[in-house]
Amino acid sequence: MTFARRVLLVAMLAMAPAGALAQPSPPPDQPEPRPAPTVTARGKVIDASGRPVIGATVTIEGTEIRALSDRTGSFTIDAPMGASLIIEAGGFDLAVWSVTGETLDDVVLLPAGAALETIEMSGEAPAKTPGAATLDRTELQRVPGTGGDIVKALTVMPGVVNLQIPLGYSGVVIRGASPQDSKVLIDDFEVPVLFHNIGFRAVVPADAIASLEFIPGGYDVAYGRASSGIVSLTTRGGSEDRSTQTEVSMIDGGLLAQGPLGKRTRYMLGLRRSTIDFILPSIIPESVDLSLTTVPSYWDEQLRIDHQLSGRWRLSLSSIGSDDTFELYTTKDDEAATKRFYNRTRFLRLTAAAKYYNGPWSANLALSGLLQQFVFEAGVFQYIDVRQPTVTPRAEVTRTYARLAGLTDAVWRFGGEASIGRNSVNLALPLEVREGEPPPPFDLEEVTEVYKGTIWVPDFTAWTALTASLDPRIRFTGGLRAEYFARPEELALQPRGELSIKVAQPWTVRLSAGAFRRPPEYQSENLYKNLKSERSMQTILGLQYEPREGVRVQSSVYYIDRTRLITHTMDNSLGNDGRGTTSGAEFLGTYRGGPWFAWLSYSYSHSTREDAPGQPERLFSFDQPHSVNAALSWKRGRWQLGGRWQLYSGLPYTPVMGSVFESDRNLYIPVYDEVNSARAPIHHQLDLRVDYTRGVGPVALTGFIDVQNVYMNESVVTYFYSYDYSEQIAFKSLPIIPSLGLRGVW
Amino acid sequence: MKAAVSLAVVVSALVGCAGDVDEPWFLDHDRIVAVRATPPGGASGERLVLDALIGTKGAPTHVATPEVATVVSPPSLAGVLAPAAEGWVVTAPDEATLAAARTELGLAAGAPVPVQVGVAYSAGTLFALKTVWLGEHRDNPVLEGMRIDGTEPGSDRVSVAREVDVPLEVAADPLAMKVNWLTSCGTMHDFDLPAAYLVVEPDDPTDGELAVVVRDRATGGVAWRVWSLSAP
Repeated sequence: MTFARRVLLVAMLAMAPAGALAQPSPPPDQPEPRPAPTVTARGKVIDASGRPVIGATVTIEGTEIRALSDRTGSFTIDAPMGASLIIEAGGFDLAVWSVTGETLDDVVLLPAGAALETIEMSGEAPAKTPGAATLDRTELQRVPGTGGDIVKALTVMPGVVNLQIPLGYSGVVIRGASPQDSKVLIDDFEVPVLFHNIGFRAVVPADAIASLEFIPGGYDVAYGRASSGIVSLTTRGGSEDRSTQTEVSMIDGGLLAQGPLGKRTRYMLGLRRSTIDFILPSIIPESVDLSLTTVPSYWDEQLRIDHQLSGRWRLSLSSIGSDDTFELYTTKDDEAATKRFYNRTRFLRLTAAAKYYNGPWSANLALSGLLQQFVFEAGVFQYIDVRQPTVTPRAEVTRTYARLAGLTDAVWRFGGEASIGRNSVNLALPLEVREGEPPPPFDLEEVTEVYKGTIWVPDFTAWTALTASLDPRIRFTGGLRAEYFARPEELALQPRGELSIKVAQPWTVRLSAGAFRRPPEYQSENLYKNLKSERSMQTILGLQYEPREGVRVQSSVYYIDRTRLITHTMDNSLGNDGRGTTSGAEFLGTYRGGPWFAWLSYSYSHSTREDAPGQPERLFSFDQPHSVNAALSWKRGRWQLGGRWQLYSGLPYTPVMGSVFESDRNLYIPVYDEVNSARAPIHHQLDLRVDYTRGVGPVALTGFIDVQNVYMNESVVTYFYSYDYSEQIAFKSLPIIPSLGLRGVW
Repeated sequence: MKAAVSLAVVVSALVGCAGDVDEPWFLDHDRIVAVRATPPGGASGERLVLDALIGTKGAPTHVATPEVATVVSPPSLAGVLAPAAEGWVVTAPDEATLAAARTELGLAAGAPVPVQVGVAYSAGTLFALKTVWLGEHRDNPVLEGMRIDGTEPGSDRVSVAREVDVPLEVAADPLAMKVNWLTSCGTMHDFDLPAAYLVVEPDDPTDGELAVVVRDRATGGVAWRVWSLSAP
């Protein structure tokens, strides 16, 4: 330990409550005092600029009991009230904190040697984006009705459109924007699919995740390629103690192993395979005209290795992979090629990253490669085969200043990223359906778009941002993101800023505004070289109230202006003729204390589109005016109980007025009413979850039952029509969906 | 490129067939089953007569000429359609008119000219579009290799057993021909394949009709045959 660290340690020990430092022996004639109660203390380790410190070791003084901070800097440790925690991390001076309750103040680590400098610190995290929220793994797994699935748990977030079934492979609908307008990142890099194609499970199990950060808008310049929100998942690093766990449910089963590899290295390895494919053939009625030649199934894998190279360097290697396949015939005749459907969706992302710390300087360096393939064949005429290898180097450097040009606690960041993708495309498909377009008749013989070739998609990005305090109550961030989309030869400058004002303890007001772009990359957009990026301008005003530890109430109002939206033109090609707006308000209240975890959110949203200049304004297809989520979970001893109640508006749809029979195609062509001029009814449901853990030898065995829609509210998800559009069919959610599972940890 | 074609397509297709609504193979439904032009294509001066197989709820199918018909496209050939003694008839115009139509439609010289005709039935409640081809003679397909329950149907009345799979066959290349089996008696399986099968379930009507419609993808030709069906 350096002299400076010793001085700092002594100074911090001196500041700690006396009770935490000394336990005088009781007089012999007095009864032994009761030991201090042990609490499950939660805290967060951050650096001087408020960024999370990952992998910090938190040790109860005088014991061997340790915990590690995760990717969000958060840690949890069972410790006696009043105990002292010693927090250590490479590149930082040591810190000592006192256990004063279940929720600890943020632990601020100084850069190594910084104790010799004069640095003033507020000790508070910087203003987060208004409306942002974070759930860690244990909380994600406590949300009832999700089956422990992390992406399903997203639906509790204010601003996320809720529906009984997932909306698609590619993402979630955030603040009135299409799924492709938001990005879901895993360890800072995008993954091409979110859900497996059966069971609607996320491609990453909750056990392999440390935390989920939800940023519905106004996000940092380090994030891009999205015009709406960001969902950032952080994989779980291996812990100091080796453990293995396995979980089996009716949907899938998996194994996760983690632990140390020597003194400086830790690993986490997860593997999961579907189990529903073993069950599915036996539950499909014999009368159904179906041949499952390849029963729908999936695999996924997660690997993460962290290595502390030195006090300044920390290395990591991670991998996320997924593979889905099925082949079926909608007939008993498994040689009827006209009725065959085949899919293979797979990807593998491999990322090598390094973090560097040296005094006020720090850096994140990463090189990530993505291999992905999507194959879909329908009948004998329609097919798509897309292979997309992509390489993405990324670097970000951070410099902190105690004072800079009259500002305090300044953090300057600059970074860059290149994304170079090579798309090999072979397709013959009907005209794609874009948001707002009612579906055409289902015709396996229609082929409108045919393409075979290779498309290079190189994009280059640079960003810089300055965060600083104008005075102890006012903190701002100003930044610029510059992206060059090489295929459309477009330079996209995106200024963004945020102002946070502590108006009065415990009230904080935040104002965020900025420009955001989504490059043309969705569905067939890459086939059109003239397409430019879609744009959005977001303005968000937020208010946060934290009256005491564990209680947070936040609300926000926002307005988003969208321009250059990609829509079909009169000749059925694509152009940037669309525009739209979204306005809304959100409320989120959370409580974390003792055995309780409570969550209440409400969202109001109104989102409209105009597909071309002069076209009438219409509702956005995923417009959901109202969404309420109330969740409550209680955990004590072996039991964990939870409930969640949801209520949300149905989505708009375009009703059919009639149809014309096209005799040669043997198809009915629908005649639609105004786009999205009707709406599915409101939906509400209650979900319950019970977990029970019991030790069986060395194994901690947890059984759980997660039941969705316990009072069996059979509501309409959307509507289908009969073959001639003469009858409307309500597609209803399942009346009740139980999910059983068993997890063992040893 | 982000692909979004998904299993949902398949699920949608299956769900669409699974509701409590009339299936596409169900004949006891107000509908136009198929529109036919005889012949489906004609050289200059040839007459193409339009009719259709009509399904009516609660009544047997029947063949009828359109109550109303009009040329939808190209507008320049609106005059080729006219009512006649045998119904609505398309008369292929002279080569000069066809050449002008080819220019209008951007077709190569000598290419057959598609004319889309709209027809209406049942007092204007049922509409259909039918394309005929002018400038080249074409023929409707001939139904061959018909077998019901393993035997060639000798008459227009067929009797089948109940609660067993009754195989239905017609000789047709599925890539060249669209096949549709329809019934108002029983449950049809693989109705859009040359080899289908019928099951008369306990709750199904025991009397009705069985029909097969074959469409030639290349010529636009249509042929059908209808049987009275009973399952005693």
